[in-house]
Order: sequence, then C-alpha cells, then structure tokens
Amino acid sequence: MEHESQDRKSSPDIVASLIRAAGRRTEPPEDAYQQVLAAATGAFREKVAERRGRSWILLATAAGVAALAIAFLLQWNSNTAQTQVAQVARVIGTAELAIDGDWKPMTETGGYLATGAKLRTLAGGGVALALDDGASLRLAAATELQIDGPRLVLLRSGTVYLDTRAILGTGYQIETPVGTARDVGTQFELHVADGSLGLRVREGRVEIDRAGNLVNGSAGEQLDIDLLGGVSRTSIAATDTAWQWVETVAPAPDIDGQPASVLLAWVSRETGRRLHYETPGVEARAATVILHGNIVHLAPMAALDVMLATTDLEYTLVGDTMEVRFRTEL
Amino acid sequence: MSFKPKDLPPTAVQLDMADMVHVDRAVARRILAGDEAAFRELFDRFFPRLYRFALVRLNRDQETARDVVQQTFCNAIERLDGYRGEAALYTWFCQICRNVISDHYRKRQRGAEHVVLLEDQPDMRAILEALAAPTDDEPDTGVWRQQVRRVVEATLDALPGHYGEVLEWKYLDGQSVEEIARRLELGPKAAESLLTRARVAFRAAISDLAGASDELTGSLGQSPG
Repeated sequence: MEHESQDRKSSPDIVASLIRAAGRRTEPPEDAYQQVLAAATGAFREKVAERRGRSWILLATAAGVAALAIAFLLQWNSNTAQTQVAQVARVIGTAELAIDGDWKPMTETGGYLATGAKLRTLAGGGVALALDDGASLRLAAATELQIDGPRLVLLRSGTVYLDTRAILGTGYQIETPVGTARDVGTQFELHVADGSLGLRVREGRVEIDRAGNLVNGSAGEQLDIDLLGGVSRTSIAATDTAWQWVETVAPAPDIDGQPASVLLAWVSRETGRRLHYETPGVEARAATVILHGNIVHLAPMAALDVMLATTDLEYTLVGDTMEVRFRTEL
Repeated sequence: MSFKPKDLPPTAVQLDMADMVHVDRAVARRILAGDEAAFRELFDRFFPRLYRFALVRLNRDQETARDVVQQTFCNAIERLDGYRGEAALYTWFCQICRNVISDHYRKRQRGAEHVVLLEDQPDMRAILEALAAPTDDEPDTGVWRQQVRRVVEATLDALPGHYGEVLEWKYLDGQSVEEIARRLELGPKAAESLLTRARVAFRAAISDLAGASDELTGSLGQSPG
C-alpha cells in the first residue's frame, strides 16, 4: 500500500471520491444479457463454420509465399543527397527511429526526417508523417518502414495509410513484388503481413499492374493479393471500423482563428463521412463562425463535439452523412 | 456475468495499453479459431460495458440498447477477421456500436437526435472540481450526481483489462488489498501493483477528459466572423 499511501498524502483521493460518488455501475438486465448472448453465440458459431469451410482455399494461397518488401514509389526523385522528406506530425504510444543502428524512442512531434530514416511502431503505437508535398502518411501499430528518398518509402511490414488530398493528379505509384499500384488523389491503406498484401481503398481508385495484368480497386473495395496473384475482393465502407486507427493517429489541424467549416471538412474527411449542410444559410454560418482554441490530442469526432458546443451549430450522423444544422436547443 | 479469477488474463497485473492490444489480438485469433470459451470470456467482459455505452447514447432506452448491442456483437464477430490490433478490441467494438446507433437513427429517420457525451462537454472540469469539494448548497444535486455517474461509468468502462472491477472492489465494496489478492489468486504485492496501476489509469483517463475540457473552457469561444 506504499504507493497508495504516498498518493493520498500528496493530494485528495479523487479516485476514491469519484468512484464512491458515482456508485456501482449500471448492470444490464439479465434478460437482455441472455438474449444478446444467444444471438452473439449463434453469430460466433456461424462465423467459425464459414471460416472452416474456406480454410482449404487459404492454405492453397498461403503456401510458398515468401516475405514481402513493399515499396511506395511515390514519385521518383534521383536526388541522392540526404534531404528532408517528411515531418513528424503525431506520435502515439511507442514509436522508434533507428539512429546509428539502434532503435531510439521517438516521442516528439515536429521533427524532420531525412532520406534513409527508418521508423517503426510497436504494439499500440502510431505515427503520422506530413510529407513534403502535403500528403499524409500514417503508420499503424507494429509497422516498420524506411524512407528511401524524397518520395520513396519502403514498407517492410505492417500497415500504412496514405491520404493525397492536397495533391490531386500527382500520380502516385506503389511498387510491390505482386505488382505496381497507381492512384490519383485518394485515400487508401496497404497492409503487409506474412507475404500477403492487403489494399483498402477509401476514396478514389487504385490500379494494380501485375506484369501487364491490371486489377482495379475502387473506393469501397478491399483487395487481398498474394504473391501467386490470387485476388480476393470484398467491400468496405468509408466509415467502416477498419479505418478507425487512421482517425486515432490523425494529426489535428490548427483551427484557432479558423471558421467552423474548416473543422467540419477535416472531420468529414478523417471519418469518411459526407458533409451536408441542411441549408445554404447553415453553410454560410459555418464559414463565418470563427473558432478559438486547439484540438490537439482530440480525435476528430471528439474535437467536433467540443468545438461545435461553443457555436450555434450542431450535427447528426445519419448513415454515412454528417448533417449540419442550426442548434435546436441553446 | 460475475467476474471470476479465471477471467483475468495472465498478464493483467502489468497491463498497459500496448499489452492490452497484444492480449486482444490473441483473443481475436482464438475466437476466430473456434475457441468458444474465449468468445464467452470476451462477451462477459464487453457486454455490460457496451450496454452502458449504448444506453447513454439512446436516451436510456433499454430495449433499443439491448438490440443495438446485439447487432454490435453480430457485426463485430462477422468482421473480426479485419481486426488487426491497431486499437484495443473494446475501442473497436465501441466504434461498431457507434455505427449501429447511427444506422438506428437513420432508419427511424430521427435526424433531430444529437447525443453529445458528457465527457466531451466543456463543463467537465467544473463537475470534477465540484465533486472534489462538494458543498451542502450544491444546486440540483440529483442532476449533478447523475452527470458524475455517467462520466465515472464511462471512464471505468474504458480502462484496460479489469481495472474497473478492481477499483470498485476497493472503493465500493471496501475490500482490502489482501482480499483482492485472494479473489484474484494473486500475491499481495501483485494485487497492490494491480490496484496502483488501476488508480493511475483512472486518474490519467479522467485527467485527460478534464484537461481537454479545461483547455477548451479557458480558451474556446466563438466570435462572429
């Protein structure tokens, strides 16, 4: 009890006070528990049966797949000198930078990365990089990559997300042992693990070139590709939970002195939701209400909640749309 | 639904968020492999938390909360192959729950519904300070206590592992460290460490909420453009 005693001596025990004041948490009704358990158990058993039924297909495609190295050939630049290529926009959890062959903790944002920089995130970690041309590159947990040039990134393992919103038409390319992917002004995710390549397209279109054989991935599609060329295709909504990690690591913009419309546009893009103003008057209002403060460390939806609370605007999530209107209760 | 020692992951004594993600990924793999015990363990751990999560977002409509949580579990299990451990599994479930709630409102065409979480509101700091120094003339104590309850419930539910249960045993049930140790089949030192970590995690979570709100309370505002 040593720690606790010291804790109590130094300050009022807010933990005990809060928990006692709140009382025991609400317990769900037993009949609700039983009903949901029965339905969830049914879903679980169905899922297991479905997976077992297709396991032979997975075994066939997994056989003989070697380790992959995925190169993002964003836009070739032959400059071989060490140049600044990106800025660290946000770090969550444990992320490390290789310095003289050793992995060192990377805790601060704002630092610049030069050609040759090697980064990795550990479990629970995440990093957002602001590329020099305005694109945003994000590393999920358990990801390792190397920046090989001003616009050349080698993804060794894990998951990255690229948002090229600011530079439509640049013609990004992604090279992999499976093929070359090209995109134009899009948001997409690549995942590399155990020799397979996963591509999720949130916006725009991605074209994969496998030795002249083209495979297209459009917004809302998820492609799983192996070295043997096997492609499985499923659908994925722009608001699917699979994109959640991208929001978690999203670097918040500086909205101090900016109109609410800037914040709304950012939240809309980061959450994959369509932004819709109820009336032209609401849109005009969003463009003129000026916000003050910062939203650092707040996730997009949380930032929207606290910032809009200071305005006469409010929003509702209706399906994939974020509907904005004048607040009905002031 | 009661918590039993066997429910505690082996590493729970020293869990931090990174550890939790490791554990969560392992749990997801076990479930996908057909381990029904792992599924049941997850269900018992998440159901009450998700129910409370949904309840406060559905104007405390119990029947709808039950249906929403049921749909959340079904959707989550269906998509569990896509869980890669980028966030804690409970956080992942919460996002699915949000989407189900959003769909619910869309289907019912109740566009006027707008749920803002208390923990996201700028007066959060004031609530916490009021709690730290309550006064006899506290106005509308019932409403105030209800607000605190929501915040504390959400905070306890968001803590990793079984920290929430341990804190309730200590501060609501008045159990000693030795009693908690026996309940968890741990040594006294390990139980003490677990309790300390739970307290630290709770403080950090509540401070994050209060800090963000304080910063916003002090500096946020609007001015006509």
